[in-house]
Amino acid sequence: MKSTFKILGACLVAGIMLTACSEPPEIAAKAAKRPDVAPYMGADNGFMTKGWTPGDQASWAEAINKRNQRQSEYSRVK
Amino acid sequence: MARMKFICDTERCIECNGCVTACKNENEVPWGITRRRVVTVNDGIIGQEKSISVACMHCSDAPCMAVCPVDCFYRTDEGVVLHDKDICIGCGYCSFACPFGAPQFLSTGAFGVRSKMDKCTFCSGGPEANGSVAEFEKYGRNRLAEGKLPLCAEMCSTKALIGGDSEVISAIYAKRVSVRESNGRYPSTDIFGWSTAYGPSGSPAPTPTPAAKIPGAKS
Repeated sequence: MKSTFKILGACLVAGIMLTACSEPPEIAAKAAKRPDVAPYMGADNGFMTKGWTPGDQASWAEAINKRNQRQSEYSRVK
Repeated sequence: MARMKFICDTERCIECNGCVTACKNENEVPWGITRRRVVTVNDGIIGQEKSISVACMHCSDAPCMAVCPVDCFYRTDEGVVLHDKDICIGCGYCSFACPFGAPQFLSTGAFGVRSKMDKCTFCSGGPEANGSVAEFEKYGRNRLAEGKLPLCAEMCSTKALIGGDSEVISAIYAKRVSVRESNGRYPSTDIFGWSTAYGPSGSPAPTPTPAAKIPGAKS
């Protein structure tokens, strides 16, 4: 009987000690990955280019594509 | 959806380091970290010198993402590999995994203390609000959200470094290769890129270096 109490006591102590190894929920929440905002939503500063509407993915893609083509001198110099 | 990539044309790169300077200035990268650098092979050998501008390649199957123990990396819908500095613990696993040496750390403290990891963001910031001061201080400019492309590529004087949607930039590069071929340079270039990199079709396969010639190698 005594040994059973000893084992149960040891388990209780081990359980209490192991709770110290767990991660508090506030730390776990802080380490959670944050969602990034898509670039077509625009930037909150004064450096935005003109010719596209923030929030409109198609217009952003078109603006980026136009800008991309500027890297080809074959399309710039004819 | 676009898949953002860089291509560096070694036939055009003149090792001016303009891309390196532009990156450092635009993103206010601290001393000790170089997100982009120019690597030159056969330096000083006339006719054989080739330079290439290297940064994060924003791999489709990024090894840095695979090894990160705290899973701080994420890939945007545009195919840009980014990371969250608030989660990064500076362990350095990503720098060992990356074949391009893109992830870098500041080590200014005693006992080899490392900072949070820093790398090229394809000028698209991090998880903070687009264009915010907090984002700029941690990751640099978010040019994609401003409707622009990475500055290193946009300001390259010889247009050796081109960046943007992979399909668009590979089409630009393919056009260059076909023009070179029609001008008599690199004849019999079958498919763009590959023949330039590995020699024209019919080239003998490279012979591996004998173990006896490699210092310390076991035969």
